[in-house]
Amino acid sequence: MRLHPLTSLAAAGSTAVITTAAASWPLSVTVIAVAAGLSVAGGVARRMLPAVAVILVPLVLSLLAMHGLFFPEGTTVLAQWGPARVTVEGLHFAFERASQLSAAVLVLLLWSFTISVPDLVAALSTRGVHARFAFVVASTLTLLPAISSRLGRIRQAQEARGLVIRPGIVGRAGAFRWQAVPLVLSLVEEAGTRAAALQARGFGSSGPRTSYREVPDPPAQRWVRVVLLLAAVAAIAARLWQPTAGA
Amino acid sequence: MSSPALSLPSPTPATARNRRLLETLGALAIAGTYIYLVLNQPEDIAGGPGSASALIALSGFLVGAVLLIIGVLPTLPVSTLVLIPVALVLNIVLGQFVGSTLVPFYLDAIGTVLIAVLAGPAAGAATGALSSIVWSFFNPTVLPFAAGAALIGCLAGVAARHGLFRRFYLAPVAGFLAGIIGGVVSAPVAAFVFGGTSGLATGAIVSAFRSMGDTLLAAITKQALISDPMDKAIVFTLVAVLVYALPRRVRLQFPFVLRYRVLAGTSASQPIGQSTGQDS
Amino acid sequence: MSRSSPPGLAAGIEEFVFPGEQEPVLAGLEVSFAAGSLTAVLGGSGSGKSTLGRLLAGWLLPGDGGTLTGFLELAGTRLRFAGTTADPRIDPGSWGRQVGFVPQDPAAAVSTVRATVAEELAFGLENAGVDRESMVSAVRHTAALTGLTRLLYRDPATLSGGQLRRLAIGCAVISRPAVLIMDEPFASLDTDGAEDLAALVRNVVRDGAAVVILSQRADVFLHNADTWLVLAGGTVAAAGSPTEIVAAGALEMAGVVRTRPHTGLRPLADAGYSSAFAGPPALELRDVSFTYRAAQRRGWFRAQPGPPADIVLHGLSLAVSAGEILAVAGPNGAGKSTLLRHLNGLLQPTAGSVLVKGRNIGGQPAGRVAAEVGLLFQQPRDQLFERTVEREVRFGLERRQPAADQAVQQALAAVGLEHLAGRHPAELPASQQRLLALATVLARRPSVLALDEPTVALDGYGLAALDRVVRSTTAEGAAVVLVTHDLDYARSIAHRLVRLDAGRLLPAD
Repeated sequence: MRLHPLTSLAAAGSTAVITTAAASWPLSVTVIAVAAGLSVAGGVARRMLPAVAVILVPLVLSLLAMHGLFFPEGTTVLAQWGPARVTVEGLHFAFERASQLSAAVLVLLLWSFTISVPDLVAALSTRGVHARFAFVVASTLTLLPAISSRLGRIRQAQEARGLVIRPGIVGRAGAFRWQAVPLVLSLVEEAGTRAAALQARGFGSSGPRTSYREVPDPPAQRWVRVVLLLAAVAAIAARLWQPTAGA
Repeated sequence: MSSPALSLPSPTPATARNRRLLETLGALAIAGTYIYLVLNQPEDIAGGPGSASALIALSGFLVGAVLLIIGVLPTLPVSTLVLIPVALVLNIVLGQFVGSTLVPFYLDAIGTVLIAVLAGPAAGAATGALSSIVWSFFNPTVLPFAAGAALIGCLAGVAARHGLFRRFYLAPVAGFLAGIIGGVVSAPVAAFVFGGTSGLATGAIVSAFRSMGDTLLAAITKQALISDPMDKAIVFTLVAVLVYALPRRVRLQFPFVLRYRVLAGTSASQPIGQSTGQDS
Repeated sequence: MSRSSPPGLAAGIEEFVFPGEQEPVLAGLEVSFAAGSLTAVLGGSGSGKSTLGRLLAGWLLPGDGGTLTGFLELAGTRLRFAGTTADPRIDPGSWGRQVGFVPQDPAAAVSTVRATVAEELAFGLENAGVDRESMVSAVRHTAALTGLTRLLYRDPATLSGGQLRRLAIGCAVISRPAVLIMDEPFASLDTDGAEDLAALVRNVVRDGAAVVILSQRADVFLHNADTWLVLAGGTVAAAGSPTEIVAAGALEMAGVVRTRPHTGLRPLADAGYSSAFAGPPALELRDVSFTYRAAQRRGWFRAQPGPPADIVLHGLSLAVSAGEILAVAGPNGAGKSTLLRHLNGLLQPTAGSVLVKGRNIGGQPAGRVAAEVGLLFQQPRDQLFERTVEREVRFGLERRQPAADQAVQQALAAVGLEHLAGRHPAELPASQQRLLALATVLARRPSVLALDEPTVALDGYGLAALDRVVRSTTAEGAAVVLVTHDLDYARSIAHRLVRLDAGRLLPAD
């Protein structure tokens, strides 16, 4: 059965919230393992891996270095070089926080890599804010890939005019103006035309709207979403009720 | 006459109040969350990683940002709304372009500040918040910073309204000040949600302060005070370069630019100052 | 012909002024368009035809978009504007259901938020709250009308320029508007595309809509129009049937390009040219071959339409002597642009070499070769970034040439823009932007001038300026290579014509 994009969003979001609220590393590691398994099963693991690595590698390294070496609150010292002290508490803190963050990042990325953006847009395009929010999301995702080819075209045009990108910050800063001004100008002007086009096609006017694309939303999934949201709220409430439990 | 109305009725002020309320609630949620976190942090950090602070920082800031979006988005004219995706693309692409040059800044707010200067503080705030939310499609770690990004957008709009973009040398000053405020407000997110920072270079600065015995929040706040003001000063300057490169006709499409005379030489009727030589 | 029917759309424009400007763009203008009629609004670049079209279509709204005094009348409702805040505010949504508009750049008209052509077509109906059954049948009907039936499930981002234009037309006509306005619909279409479009327009007219075509070229198809309106300086300079207008000679005065009727191939303007300049050829290609490396990026974003992977050049050899004009003709996708990018090092040949004045440019960055080889692209906006026309031309000159002032003046005078030196480049009409881009290249006094489709977007005045530039630079000893699909133009100016087909050079005819 195909999941409604909002159902999978509720699942991913609730999982991230509950993992953060629970703050127990066995749960975090389990979530990581499950998310990794799902990404392999869903055939997105290969596309996801670079994105995950770009985000998590510096984050985890930064946490380990920061708290592994400097944790003034730590008492059980394992090693010491000058001002740097490796403490059990520091490593524990770094590990817990890293696993927790990795879990949240993985489930959210798994969601964005597996959903169909058009389905999400259609699901959000009911009315009012949703339609406008859906527009911003979808339009950004459409413009992004086009921008790199447009930047490439501008760079070629400028090189044909004599632009030589010199190494170093000054050279780069000079190249910024050559490339960013035509890019921004054309984007802003195009946006003006697009605004007129959208308004003429009734975008922005109030009143009921319909959807050409059909996204099935069986009642069972609506119930699942409600339950997932309640679970997330309950997890937050439980954590706020007992702020330090499990630590 | 049977044909449908071709002209719009005059705007009604009735719905405006609700939206104002949402915006205020959003701002209050962000401010309240920040104050709570700063007041409670000493006992919390000792409580370990699972502390309630992460959840409060996440939910308070996110709810605030979402309320801002819900309040502002319907009020924006379509011409501004269509610019928001352009701004987000600029945030992401120019941010990455600069990131590839190994400069120790983020420069991921150029589009947000651009919108704020052209369309005002409310549009800027919504763009900042939306930027974080849409970017989290590719990088969920920017999601908690939505409130900080919204704040930068709002401050840039306020600076533009008060004429800080009319003089070229004032733009970096405005950016510097906005960076201080933005950095201080974002620091609790870094501290309580991430337990540090996401970059290696910034992480090293935090470590240095930690080695001197600072609390985590204090160390991250100090690090933010080193990076953010410079970063935002550069961003505001680049945006000034960009808006002054826009042709007059494009700049004057935006009622905000006209009404508050945001940019030099763009009054409604006649260019100020040396107008004699310009039009004939 | 239903001449007696009431006008679908009419306007009386005393004045229309953009915000913050004093000079009106449109003034003293009365137009009306009857149902089932075809009208061509002709005028040079900057004559105000696009502004008129957008104003009539509700794409440019009186008020925020500018100050209008006069009236607009649609389907029997007349809205009067006095240029005050009490003026009516047009509802663009309901206006747009009755007046469809197709802008010059169809890519900007696409919503960017719909995943398939079918959904894109339905976007306007969705916003109007039309039920799904009616939407499906309207989409099917419109797709059949515009020839999009086979493309209904394609991503709009992957369409070609011609397909995109058909999509924009489909979006404009799906609500069956009483009036359809199109801005330069025939620009950059090849013969087949133009014939398809002409058939489409005939169908729309037959369905009873008033069709208005804005154009700076009096294309062959437009001779079928009921009325021609010639616009100059923001007002109607002449109106009447095509034959009347042609007889009165109003087109030339307004800077409208008259397409030459096809009377067989004309001989080359100056065949049998032999260079009067000594020395090595200005440009020489030796056995140049090129293959695009497959560099498809896969990742977070939707797959993008990359360059077609199999465009290759097969062992091209070519020499152009100083003072010579060489035209390269060929169908779309034959590799013309790829060839042009080799001339200044933007692309490096996979085999063979490119020599400029006898020196191999292999391995040099394009930015340095640019001093010798001036390349003009189709999109002038990609190159322009300064605040004034004068600064734009001057950029990059100061240190290299002592007489920069003189070079700037000469380049601007050569393209006929010296009176616009203080204007913002982005505010110039398309034709003058191309001329400005040409001036930036000329100011560097290149020894090779390479032009990509130089006639596109130029109006009558622009074409005349281009002719002057090409002739005078070659007289001074530069070589000119121009790439064009317009064989007739190529033959009118070139000394030598070669054809590029599937990456191979063939002698012309």
